[in-house]
Amino acid sequence: METTTIEPPLQALPTAKEKRYDRQLRLWGAPGQRALEETHLLLINSSPGVAAVETLKNLVLPGVGQFSILDPAVVEEADLGVNFFLEDESLGKFRAEETVKYLMELNPDVQGHAIKEPLETFITKDKVFTPYTLILVAAPIDPTILATIRKHAEALHIPLFYLHCVGYHSHFSIQLPPAFPIVDTHPDPTATTDLRVLKPWPALQEFAREQTHAMDKMSGHDKAHIPYICLLLHYLEQWRNDHNGTVPDSYKQKQEFRDSYVRKGSPDEENFDEACAAVLKSLISPTAPSALRDIFNAPEAMELTATSPPFWFIANAISQFYTKHGGLPLPGAVPDMKAQSADYIRLQNIYKTKAREDCAEVVATVRELEKSTGRGSKLAIIEKEVENFCKGAAHIHLVRGRPLQIVLPDLPVTFGDRAKAMVFELTNPESLIGEYIAFLAWDEFVATHTTSSSVKGGKGLRVPGNNDAEFEADKEKMVGIAHKIVDGILNEAGERIEDPEYTEIKDGIEKICVELVRAGGGELHNIASLTGGLIAQEVIKVITKQYVPVDNTCLFDGVASRSYVLRV
Amino acid sequence: MQRRDRGIAQSLGGPLTKKVKESRVLLVGAGGIGCELLKNLVCSGFGSHPPATTDAPPTNPSTRRAGLMVIDLDTVDLSNLNRQFLFRKQHIKKPKALVAKETASQFNPSVHIEAHHASIFDRQYNVEFFEDFDVVFNALDNLAARRHVNKMCLAANVPLIESGTTGFNGQVQAIQKVWAKSYLFPELFGASEESGDMEVTAGDNADEVAKLKEEAEALKKIRGLMGKSEFAQAVFNKVFSDDIDRLRSMTEMWQSRKPPEPLRFDSLSHDSSIIQQGKALSTQDQKPWTLLENISVFCYSLDTLSNRMQAGENVIEFDKDDKDTLDFVASAANLRSHIFDIQLHSEWEVKQMAGNIIPAIATSNALTASLCVMEAFKIMRSQQAKANALAEAAGNNFTPLKAHTSSKDDGLLGGAKMVFLTSKSTDRLISSQSLLPPKAECPVCSPVYAKLVLPESGSTTLQELVDLLKATAGYDDDFSITADVGIIYDPDLDDNLAKPLSEFGFSKDSNSFITVTDDSDEPKVDLVLSSSRQAASTEANGDAAALRFITETLELPLKPPKAKEPETNGGGEAKIEALSISQSGTKRKREAEDEAESAKKRTKNDDVMVVEDDGGAILLDD
Repeated sequence: METTTIEPPLQALPTAKEKRYDRQLRLWGAPGQRALEETHLLLINSSPGVAAVETLKNLVLPGVGQFSILDPAVVEEADLGVNFFLEDESLGKFRAEETVKYLMELNPDVQGHAIKEPLETFITKDKVFTPYTLILVAAPIDPTILATIRKHAEALHIPLFYLHCVGYHSHFSIQLPPAFPIVDTHPDPTATTDLRVLKPWPALQEFAREQTHAMDKMSGHDKAHIPYICLLLHYLEQWRNDHNGTVPDSYKQKQEFRDSYVRKGSPDEENFDEACAAVLKSLISPTAPSALRDIFNAPEAMELTATSPPFWFIANAISQFYTKHGGLPLPGAVPDMKAQSADYIRLQNIYKTKAREDCAEVVATVRELEKSTGRGSKLAIIEKEVENFCKGAAHIHLVRGRPLQIVLPDLPVTFGDRAKAMVFELTNPESLIGEYIAFLAWDEFVATHTTSSSVKGGKGLRVPGNNDAEFEADKEKMVGIAHKIVDGILNEAGERIEDPEYTEIKDGIEKICVELVRAGGGELHNIASLTGGLIAQEVIKVITKQYVPVDNTCLFDGVASRSYVLRV
Repeated sequence: MQRRDRGIAQSLGGPLTKKVKESRVLLVGAGGIGCELLKNLVCSGFGSHPPATTDAPPTNPSTRRAGLMVIDLDTVDLSNLNRQFLFRKQHIKKPKALVAKETASQFNPSVHIEAHHASIFDRQYNVEFFEDFDVVFNALDNLAARRHVNKMCLAANVPLIESGTTGFNGQVQAIQKVWAKSYLFPELFGASEESGDMEVTAGDNADEVAKLKEEAEALKKIRGLMGKSEFAQAVFNKVFSDDIDRLRSMTEMWQSRKPPEPLRFDSLSHDSSIIQQGKALSTQDQKPWTLLENISVFCYSLDTLSNRMQAGENVIEFDKDDKDTLDFVASAANLRSHIFDIQLHSEWEVKQMAGNIIPAIATSNALTASLCVMEAFKIMRSQQAKANALAEAAGNNFTPLKAHTSSKDDGLLGGAKMVFLTSKSTDRLISSQSLLPPKAECPVCSPVYAKLVLPESGSTTLQELVDLLKATAGYDDDFSITADVGIIYDPDLDDNLAKPLSEFGFSKDSNSFITVTDDSDEPKVDLVLSSSRQAASTEANGDAAALRFITETLELPLKPPKAKEPETNGGGEAKIEALSISQSGTKRKREAEDEAESAKKRTKNDDVMVVEDDGGAILLDD
């Protein structure tokens, strides 16, 4: 059962709070819930922003600590149709205040704050972003303001989400810190089993010999209760004897091992069945996956300083362990199997003991590293953290956050080292990059048609299609901008796409542009609700540092009911 | 243009917006997905057409009213509040349907919501009831009700949108029956006429069944001791000692595995404070209890439950949120596990197994519900397109919805799709697949559904039905008729012909079905009959009305020849099979293998603790 890997929320009688959150504690456990409750979210909204409000709803319900909404607008008629919180009597009141009021009704444990200040002045204040753990910005927004927010988020290492929701289409991008490690990735339980049958340590080998000693003379009952791990180890010894000390390596050899060794032991006993079934899965050398080796070789792990985050200290220590032993620390879990209870418990203890020893060795290395870098005792790395790392080492994930793409007026959109990858996306019919380009064009339209409302005669944000009279003109402009971006990508990458593919790509993007203009910046409630679900899900992953979040852009096409993740 | 529905009108276009507003929608279930769905439907304008105004001619020929109907049997619980956002703390213990209506009505003043705090199995929800809706949404947490709604919708020919979530995923999960919950508990505290009513399945040998019956009888006797001090000991020795001894005596069962070790109450415990200890232990639901601790909790919960029975509760049903029942089921299950040498679980874990608790969060529900509404738009559009086609043929000058119609979309139900939400890979959070056509082998979706109009008298006999089938539906002699009770007619079974159909549970106000199976060499597809609520009126010449089909003619195509190799491994429901296709090739294969393996394991444990429910189940957030 999956839940067995999750730390149970409490040891005593459940409180009302634990009862309320019971269903989600089964997913992210007490540490995840704690992280959620320590979070203060900032939403920056300049339009009805239903997708963003839906996101907040999905975070208030599970009990995020605090949230603030920065939105200087007052409630208009159109808000009522899409934002289900607002009622007729909200008309004319501050949108931020009204929304906060209703959101807080959902969960009395959550603190909400409304900020009615104009964005322009808000962002100029000193240390204005420091109280927040995560920032959510909903388009449309003045791109120069967004650029300032990005700068602060980068400097403070605050995760930043930027989203669009227009008609049937929506998009969000996540800007994470340059190194965002996830230790608890919740891998598939079957993927975490690591039995080390190819590299048994003495205690395990000894136990297997004892269990399989004089197997032929055993009673039927005893033979049928040899744990399958011991059977595998026993037959591997035979194989080594027959094959100059090598182990079955290729698929073919493993098959031969299964059919001509293990199966020969007994044709129909359940434990032999289990052993045969485990051959292909378990006869693997404990090499580190490439993603983990990348972490070992990352500059942050190689060049530790006294103040490096604990993650890198542990990564360095485990890297040393790996080099020394040719394998990762043992996770220590033993799957269910047919065995006598006493033997099974002994086997469990053998694995647990080894896992503890491995972990202790890593802890010792960490302590040495702390000493050699002169890390203060206040920053001493918690042993539990090392233990978690050791348990899930093979599945640790590192996201390399990249800065958010912002379209500034009069500056071409560039993709840098991702330009070639973007060309590939353009030619991949599965990709929704066309939608991303259409949203970039939408942003450029906003950037070039917005006059700051604080300036005299300024009209504020203008989105394409919000005025029926200019529909055709807006459409043409949008398509023009989008096509320019496509050509820009090709130029930057120094590549060409020939016709008819080139025209097909442009036509596809044109269609999306027309859809976006047609919607006139309007949100469809259910698309907004879905987008709010998607974003809240990713916010929870980022906050709890559990599960692997989207890296770094997600698109949803409501016409085809399809989503796509793009690394920009 | 700052109207409330500007965004909707802009995106959907005028005609579809109108259709959406005029629609009549049924939502079954007001739990996690139900709440989100209701909000989405209300905010998208479904059923928000104001009652007919005088200046516009009614566009809808029927007199029915646009609106949403919510049906749910459940009441609000504290653990719902982390995602079922239509409910607040002050709503706990109130009917979900009514509260949901109250809260959601505020989202849009022009929406019309009806709420029923009732079971969808109720007699009032017959085929004609379902026919009244444009689209039905299933947001249910149990397979039986899902199957029922599916069948009713097929019979009523109304589109149904199904959905489900667990944790971060929308996926499928099998229900396992837990022995202590499904057998022992009802035997002791269930309605007494139910006890001893054992289900006999094919392949059980008669001796075995007789013995099981005996066992159940003995338990019944022990029930008589309830309230006396020896009750706990009697129950304990009966189920953990005597019954186990009997199982042990079947030596052939234990040749290849360890026989169970019976537990004797007196040899384990003489402590008089056992109930007190159990009470204290029952608050520690995270750590697995030891053998003695389980006995303490067992005695304590049995004592508490007996006192409740004595105090006037006739029947106590297992409810995962009724702590006393959970204590009992958790301790009893663990004791039995001990006997069979199965790992013991903490009460928290048992609660998850016995209570069908699925991790549930707001985000997945929001996603799933939104996807449902998208599918509803597509269905509405296809209905609209059909209406337009008819209108055009009649010379009316309607503009087809070019903006929304692309040739690619013209699949089943207007191009509606099956959509999956997965969390394992962030590359494809949402993926979709075209709907599959009905499967020829599926007993639910392949038959022709038809309605019978029964005469007022209620005395229509099976003979009359047989005659009607032969006369009107083109059956020859070789066919059989199955009602809820089983086969009631075939060429060799004519004992029932004189009996009225009502004797087989089929009447004007029942929701039961009768299936006609053609057994000839060139068989027609199955015919599934339901009864209409309207009574056949008396003929003009004064003759009593005769049994008839609601439509004049009935066309039954031939069954397609059976495919040589079934596409799937069978056993499950079409929907479940289809859902698993979302996995990519290799992964799916691996999972299928794993599943087969664990299924094998389970079967081996069958008579031990876990009984697999037939066909697996989709399990949802409640």
